[in-house]
Amino acid sequence: MDTDQNIILEVKNLKQYFPIYKALLQQLVGHIKAVDGVSFFVRENEVLGLVGESGCGKTTVGRSILRLYDPTDGEVWYRNRAGERINITRLSQKAMKPLRREMRMIFQDPFSSLNPRRTVKEIIGEPLIIHQVARGKAMEERVAELMTAVGLDPNYMERYPHEFSGGQRQRIGIARTLSLSPRLIIADEPVSALDVSVQAQVLNLLQQLKDDLGLSLIFIAHDVSVVEHVSDRIAVMYVGKIVELARTEELLWHPLHPYTEALVSAIPPADPDIHLERVTLGGEVPSPANPPSGCIFHPRCRFVRYLCSREEPVLREIKPGHFVSCHFATELALRGIGGTA
Amino acid sequence: MNKSSVSPRVVPIEAAELKAEEHESYLNLVWRKFRKSRIAIFGGLIVVALAVLAICSDFFSPYDPVKLNMRYGYIPPHRVHFVDAEGKFHFRPFVYNWVQVLDENMFAHWVEDTNQKYEIQFFVQNWQYKFLGLFPGRLHLYGAADGGLIYLLGTDKFGRDIFGRCARAGRISLSMSLFGTFISVAVGSVLGVVSGYYGGRFDNLMQRFVEFVQSFPQLPLWMALAAVIPPTWDQMTVFIAMSVIFALLSWTLLAREVRGKVLALRETDFVLAAREMGASDARIIFYHLYPNTLSHTIVVLTLTIPSIILAESFLSFLGIGIQEPLVSWGVMMREAQTIQTLGFNLWIIAPVFFIFLAVLGFNFLGDGLRDAADPYTIV
Repeated sequence: MDTDQNIILEVKNLKQYFPIYKALLQQLVGHIKAVDGVSFFVRENEVLGLVGESGCGKTTVGRSILRLYDPTDGEVWYRNRAGERINITRLSQKAMKPLRREMRMIFQDPFSSLNPRRTVKEIIGEPLIIHQVARGKAMEERVAELMTAVGLDPNYMERYPHEFSGGQRQRIGIARTLSLSPRLIIADEPVSALDVSVQAQVLNLLQQLKDDLGLSLIFIAHDVSVVEHVSDRIAVMYVGKIVELARTEELLWHPLHPYTEALVSAIPPADPDIHLERVTLGGEVPSPANPPSGCIFHPRCRFVRYLCSREEPVLREIKPGHFVSCHFATELALRGIGGTA
Repeated sequence: MNKSSVSPRVVPIEAAELKAEEHESYLNLVWRKFRKSRIAIFGGLIVVALAVLAICSDFFSPYDPVKLNMRYGYIPPHRVHFVDAEGKFHFRPFVYNWVQVLDENMFAHWVEDTNQKYEIQFFVQNWQYKFLGLFPGRLHLYGAADGGLIYLLGTDKFGRDIFGRCARAGRISLSMSLFGTFISVAVGSVLGVVSGYYGGRFDNLMQRFVEFVQSFPQLPLWMALAAVIPPTWDQMTVFIAMSVIFALLSWTLLAREVRGKVLALRETDFVLAAREMGASDARIIFYHLYPNTLSHTIVVLTLTIPSIILAESFLSFLGIGIQEPLVSWGVMMREAQTIQTLGFNLWIIAPVFFIFLAVLGFNFLGDGLRDAADPYTIV
């Protein structure tokens, strides 16, 4: 892929399999291929959206990158603040610790991701303590600063999470993520647990923090309409694989993969008078423990041909910066966001 | 992020809402919920009363509870009178003198001698004691005037005031159960949290060990362990050894409960978040997981205390464990072992009433705490 100096994170052929054991004898009977050969990169100060339906492995990608899981295979190259490229897939947790200051995560559920027994000050300040950056008065000042930055009143730092609303809690989570001045943030569905009006606030906050602080972001979501506003590029995942990756407008207006077409057509148009014919998918998402042969999407694809079930397509660059994994990407006439090809 | 780049231009949209409601600390929340339960308050009061009675037992007992007084064996509880034999009302309560008489079968009986009455006085000076083992004092809550005797719950075989002894016995019974529970909770919660957090083989091993301990018949094992305590050990060592014995068999319940709770909690996002920020296992266990199991711990704690009180009484009743001159409720019950003694002197089972109160009080308290200790919803 790209070798330019701007790339902060490069994921190469990342695989994350989870073993399945048969109950009684603890016999290994197979693997859930949650992430199966995912490759992408993130440039500095860029937002990469990672989209896909539930269970497609997008959260697992995020967690594998941050070594919350130990990846089965593949490489994750991270360029640290000093400019060194480090493959973090095989680092020990101890060696990983300094990198955890630079790579942080925002969690999906603002309710379960904050310890109910700790005050907001303790929650936001915890990374500072763990990495011995600040404690006591200095920590308090930093927490106040962070709370202001995410739009919370610092006077409430002694309160417990249960005293806050969902949107406020997510802001607390964001403040915690920002506390060590990270360079790369993996936002794992940061707004999907919030109601729509609050979603917009949090999205705007993230966008603004990204601009102000020069962050790189991997924005994971199951909803294209959420990602399209914040992302520079979007990667579409389906059953553990990336099926399409392109610049946001390119992907939305000119999708080259039938799955992307279906996702894009699910975005409601802003004009209520427009009634577009939606592309709906039949069938069920296949199990990552037992993926179909050939192209993983072929059982649900409306353009399926003989080759599709026989041979697995590779992610290839059809147009500059537009990667698709479909045998017939160049032949299909797919509809984009406006119903146009 | 350097300081200048943190922009305060995000408007605190929702912060304004919070101003209306008052912030409450954890203890406030617990207390507000706790006091709603009348039975829990009742239990709490019983426990506090028993504790005060035990700690200040010297103040509450008019006579030295360990001093033998063979002339006054088995005096029935003194009745407190307001109205004398002639039907005259006295504002100050009084007791009659008790004298020993022989009935037609030549059995000795204690009867009230209505010719001689002694007024009950409060805050009297009497035998010398050391409050908390430090401050000498002579003050006692009550006593009979003019050198009269007052035994509210009667006396035992050796003429010792049963009420005073019950109060004194509370010291051993309560402190031993507290100490035993403390050890039990410390062991149980640490093993439970660690077992739940690490899971896998260690957890498996731990749980089989818990089952192993649980499958022991408790009473025979307690008896065996208590019986091997060498009689040459001094009182303090015996006390500690007994507490440890009780703790050793009672930690399993808590270990199981805490493990279950931790199993549920370790998959929550806040634990993942802690790992993501680079927290050590010890930090996750003791800073994040353990505090969240505290409500369970408190409940199990209040349920373990009465079970140890009962176990201690049982062993002491059988004559193993605590020995005279230490006095616990169980030790006092030992006198009530023969049906003959009990038949003639029913009042010597008075300690049962204290055991009953203590067990009931702690159970009520635990019931209330169960609901109150966890004012925040988790998971």
